[in-house]
Amino acid sequence: MAENENSFMLCEECQVNEACYTISVMMGGQVTQRHLCADCMAKMNMSIATGNVKHLLSAILTAITGAEAPAADEPREDVICERCQTTLSQFTKSGRLGCPACYKAFQEQLTPMLQQIHGRVQHAGRKPLNTEAAQRQRFRHEELMRQMEQAVAVEDFETAAMLRDQLRALAEKEGED
Amino acid sequence: MRHGIVLSSRVRLARNYEDIPFDAAQRPEYAAMCVNRTTTALKSAKLGEGFDLLRLREMSEVSRTAMAESRLISRDLLRTPDTAAVLIRVDDALTIMMNEDDHLRIQAIRPELDLTGAAQACFQVDDALSRQAVFAFDEQLGYLTACPTNTGTGMRASLLMHLPMLTRGKQMGDVGQLVAKVGLNIRGVYGEGSEALGNIYQISNQVTLGRTEQELISAVTAVGVQLCDMETALRDKAMKDGRVALEDVVFRAWGTLLHARLMPLNEFYQHWSNIRLGAALGLLKLPLTLADALLDQVQDAHLRVYADEPLEGVQLDECRATRIRELIRLGGE
Ligand SMILES: [Zn+2]
Ligand SMILES: [Zn+2]
Repeated sequence: MAENENSFMLCEECQVNEACYTISVMMGGQVTQRHLCADCMAKMNMSIATGNVKHLLSAILTAITGAEAPAADEPREDVICERCQTTLSQFTKSGRLGCPACYKAFQEQLTPMLQQIHGRVQHAGRKPLNTEAAQRQRFRHEELMRQMEQAVAVEDFETAAMLRDQLRALAEKEGED
Repeated sequence: MRHGIVLSSRVRLARNYEDIPFDAAQRPEYAAMCVNRTTTALKSAKLGEGFDLLRLREMSEVSRTAMAESRLISRDLLRTPDTAAVLIRVDDALTIMMNEDDHLRIQAIRPELDLTGAAQACFQVDDALSRQAVFAFDEQLGYLTACPTNTGTGMRASLLMHLPMLTRGKQMGDVGQLVAKVGLNIRGVYGEGSEALGNIYQISNQVTLGRTEQELISAVTAVGVQLCDMETALRDKAMKDGRVALEDVVFRAWGTLLHARLMPLNEFYQHWSNIRLGAALGLLKLPLTLADALLDQVQDAHLRVYADEPLEGVQLDECRATRIRELIRLGGE
């Protein structure tokens, strides 16, 4: 917190109030200081808490990449997520990623952003219980169900009965886990 | 004493299915997948009992807004009523919101200071679902969420606190700095911008990545306890040095709420804060649970549901005044 009695510094965000907070922002690979007033600091805190970070995130990202906000008509090489087709510029504008694969696609830009937001980039905490084995079992279940429905549809009841038995066996195995 | 200051504890977990785009709320086909998968997984995990599935589009606008007023669902969920749904277990205020910013927001609310209890309720659902379905998860980044501010644990732990004396003593600025220093966030719950009507604040963890759920819960709890101690010290001092002045404020508010015939919501918050302080200090014979229930029951949508009419303006203020008297009378018996 900046507490320099002699100099009165205006908040860089609203240009109205006296800046009483100093935050560090990565700017073109260098850490620079930004000065904010209590209101703007609170707004920033609130937008983080409510997940409404459109403005904040684009501000941080622009700062990180050291790039001026690109003009709309200026063609730039954009990073794209192969899986959901979300582009990096769409993400910086909306603050929202398109799918889990976006994290890999935009890794270069996201890592410093996550570092800036959270201070750390290594997860600690809970993990999902679903193992790969359980996943395989689930896919197997879905596949058997699909085959059985097909068999019933063509009135191949012999195959359907066989598939039903396999499903039962699978369900019993699941129960043992 | 703490129990007079913390209204409730809430934990929320953000989860997404690995194979569905984050913006399922905007895409009906994916939104339906989220709802079906979650409902089925909950049943297979034998946890479905006690849960009701509510689709927002099948509810009236006032009744879903009333749910948000009671904090059972988030305001954000109301933005996509066509696709949003919620699995709700009313008994212990456990909800699984579907098709909000993330596919799932698992949320538990506990009265008073009990983040651990709320978290355990969420974890039970989380474990049950994650046995059946595949959540977007990365060994390095943890749970992957639509917004990078939730990445990691995907957890938000928050306390709803009534801090009238800290507010009156103009100490909320210091409190804000203290809270920010440890990576937490504080904001007013009611009102616009930096307002905190009713002197009700929410403190929550700002950071979600790189700390365990336990660490985050401990941090929020520790700050919550510290704020309780600060608030309590001021309350004790006021009881010792200015009891009559304090009683005057409390009983004036009490009298107004008992006798007013028109009660605008903004004015209500001010009186509510004073009577709740009086109740917590034992000056008023008013159960805290009733005081806290009042806070939800006199919100606009609650009144519209109660009156079963699309009340507006002064009609709302009249209905609110009537409802306040009625609830106090009922609670006093
Ligand atoms: Zn400012
Ligand atoms: Zn993507």
